[in-house]
Amino acid sequence: MTTAGSQSDAAVQFTRPLRLTFRDDLSSTLLSWLVKSFLFVVTFCSVAAVLLIFVFVIRQAAPFFAESRVSPLERLTEFFTSRRWFPEHQAHPEYGILAIIAGSFYVTITSLLIAVPTGLLAAVFLSDIASFRTRQICKPLIEILAAIPSVAYGVFAVMVVAPWLQKNIGFPTGTNALNASLILSVMAMPTIISVAEDALSAVGREIREASYALGATRAETMLRIVIPAAHSGILAAVILGMMRAVGETMVVWMASGNATQIPSPWWDLSQSVRTMTATIAGELGEVPQGTTHFHSLFAIGLVLLIFTFCLNLLSEHFIMQMKKPKR
Amino acid sequence: MTLWRQIKNTLFTALCSGSVLFLAATLMIFLLPMLWKGSKAVFFRKTVEFDKMQKELFKRGHAEDLERRTAQTNQARQEALALLEHFSRGIDTALLSREVRSAYQQLGRHLRYLEVSDDEYARLREQAKDIRDAFLQALETTDKAEAESLLDTVDAQQTNPRFQNSPFEVVFSLSKQYRQILQEIDLSRRPEYAAELDIVKTEMRNLFGPLPGESIPPLPQDRFGATRWDVAQRHLQYLIYQTKWVPSGKDDKRLIPKQIRRDDPEEGIFGKTELAPLFSMVEQNLAAMLQPRPTIYWRYFLDDSTAGHYFGGVGPEVLGTLLLTVLSMCFAVPLGVLSAAYLVEYAAGGITTRIIRTCINTLAGVPSIVYGLFGLAFFVLLAGNPSILSASMTLALLVLPVIIRASEEAIRAVPQSYKEASLALGAGKFRTFLTVTLPAAGPGILTGIILSLSRAAGETAPILFAGAVALGPIPDIGLHLKWLFQPTRALSYGCYDITVGDRLAMQVPHNQFGMVMTLILLVLLLNLAAVLLRWRMSKKLQGL
Repeated sequence: MTTAGSQSDAAVQFTRPLRLTFRDDLSSTLLSWLVKSFLFVVTFCSVAAVLLIFVFVIRQAAPFFAESRVSPLERLTEFFTSRRWFPEHQAHPEYGILAIIAGSFYVTITSLLIAVPTGLLAAVFLSDIASFRTRQICKPLIEILAAIPSVAYGVFAVMVVAPWLQKNIGFPTGTNALNASLILSVMAMPTIISVAEDALSAVGREIREASYALGATRAETMLRIVIPAAHSGILAAVILGMMRAVGETMVVWMASGNATQIPSPWWDLSQSVRTMTATIAGELGEVPQGTTHFHSLFAIGLVLLIFTFCLNLLSEHFIMQMKKPKR
Repeated sequence: MTLWRQIKNTLFTALCSGSVLFLAATLMIFLLPMLWKGSKAVFFRKTVEFDKMQKELFKRGHAEDLERRTAQTNQARQEALALLEHFSRGIDTALLSREVRSAYQQLGRHLRYLEVSDDEYARLREQAKDIRDAFLQALETTDKAEAESLLDTVDAQQTNPRFQNSPFEVVFSLSKQYRQILQEIDLSRRPEYAAELDIVKTEMRNLFGPLPGESIPPLPQDRFGATRWDVAQRHLQYLIYQTKWVPSGKDDKRLIPKQIRRDDPEEGIFGKTELAPLFSMVEQNLAAMLQPRPTIYWRYFLDDSTAGHYFGGVGPEVLGTLLLTVLSMCFAVPLGVLSAAYLVEYAAGGITTRIIRTCINTLAGVPSIVYGLFGLAFFVLLAGNPSILSASMTLALLVLPVIIRASEEAIRAVPQSYKEASLALGAGKFRTFLTVTLPAAGPGILTGIILSLSRAAGETAPILFAGAVALGPIPDIGLHLKWLFQPTRALSYGCYDITVGDRLAMQVPHNQFGMVMTLILLVLLLNLAAVLLRWRMSKKLQGL
């Protein structure tokens, strides 16, 4: 193709008045509508997935509550108020998950007690103290901490932490609530740090500067001004960290000892506990499908699902609040 | 007052920096031991037994070289093994009594062969029977004097010409042997000796494989001695030292364990016996007996494992994890990227978009074990049996929100001017997205994909019930697609199983940590790739 020819062609094309025929117009409109609806359908898959998860977990959990021998109300009362979890008993199986829920709370709360202060301080460091270069180094570090698979943490808990606890602290068993909480706190920290840092950074520069101008030190500025201003985002961070800890399976299954009990002096973390996730993971592989025990595990899953769903809505609410412009 | 505020401020800064340092320390405390212990699965000193194992189970190695080394080591071991065999004859009376019995039976056959008269035959049999019984009694008694007098009655018959040059002659040489043994050991402690000798024999088997004269064991892990030098050292300790419970010094009620050498002249159980030289012999010549050599067993990442995870590597697990993650990406990436495109380019901020966003967040927040439940209830109960397909679809759901978020961010980061230029040239919205926005956002999306690959590789709970098995055949990948419907091994589930579930694996900690190290390395590599990609991207953006 010669240059002169192409130039003249282009000139001809551009001099043509830009008018679409009706067919062109229709087809392009139709096409863009088609594309849009196709994309919408694809996007709707996520919604469908959430619905499907709910539907299928509920469908498998329903027979547990609707079993003919016991009335649903009795079942429900036993489920949430009894501490006795003996689903395999031949004559009188018992399905009380109070101790299991308590176990979940024990490890979650303890891990948060460690993870929230540390994570918050680390977030302050990253958002306000660290130089750009330090942050460039710290960020991947925290990402790696988040990326390490939970089962690897679990192996660490069983093979390294548990013998250490047993030998050096003198616990009767190394796999206990404390072990699981320690590891969980490490796992929840990256989430807490990244969300809290976002929240702290979202607080405007003017607010900090105003505080400094009044002669406040950095500690005072952060503790009295910035952190209170970022409270909704920090709450969201705590909730997201909590979700991570509650939903974590492999670590608690491997490290918590799996004893269905509420520690008897309530503060005694050296005792073994069992969480909801560990119960499902440990028992579902061995029960025959369609038995009451099988459905009861789905009921535990449903409790877990509803709990995390509520937490999620809550965290979303707080994040929305955080994103609302304050300036 | 000002000073106090200064101190508080410094303290606060120190605490903040300290918490980050704490995190770094935690990472190191976690990573270093795991990687160090895991690296022993690849870098170690192999012994000749390792080469034998590789030859027999994996069909590799030089046959001639191995033969030469086997001959060398066998020669080095010979003396110790002979000593053990000789001594165990005295303790293990079953062996002696079997030999005596068989000599008696052979005598019968011998006499029939000589065609002696029936009278003579009966008389000799009777005599031989008396000798045999006396010998057996001597073997059983724990009284030394009685045993010796019984042996005397046996030996009295030695001159009987009928027994000379017959199979029964061996009885007299056995009697001589046993007499010698009687001098060396304390008969009353024989059961004790027998128990300890069993341990010694087990440890010798653990070090050098089956003892001479034993049949080849059916289980692969019993067929070879210590394949690694560190394992050999451990078994050497077990061989040499016994644990004795002795009263502690302060109050005599409590017993404390004490390690003493088995050949200790005062306390050791074999101290005053003929077996005593064995221990120092093995201790000093272990290197010659096993020929340790440093090696890099890089095939660990590719090899199948035999007898559970006892020998071999993590090849099937790596393959399974790759299959699962790649397949799950095949489902999740198109869905995720297109969803992100819709959310960025098309979605108006209406109630529909909010619902979609809430659902994506919910999906990200669903506990992984609930994905496992869902995978079981939906994919498995629908499809029939746990399989690679159901497991990877479950994983795809799990990483979908990660991909959507990463892609969304990447697409949003594309400068508006790019899109405007494309739109101004007359391209439609979707065409602009496909030809301009997507390539520009490509590295960012790729980063998200790599990160979700690492997430999918590490997740265990979702695939617990959906298609992961601890041990099973390697999926044979091919166009027939049957492998999609088989369960597979996976690194993540393997890590769980090898540390908690597998009894046999407890004996091989290097393999336990090796598998975890493989998983951690895989995840770290993927993350490193993502970091590098992001770094290059930011440099490119700065260059613009």
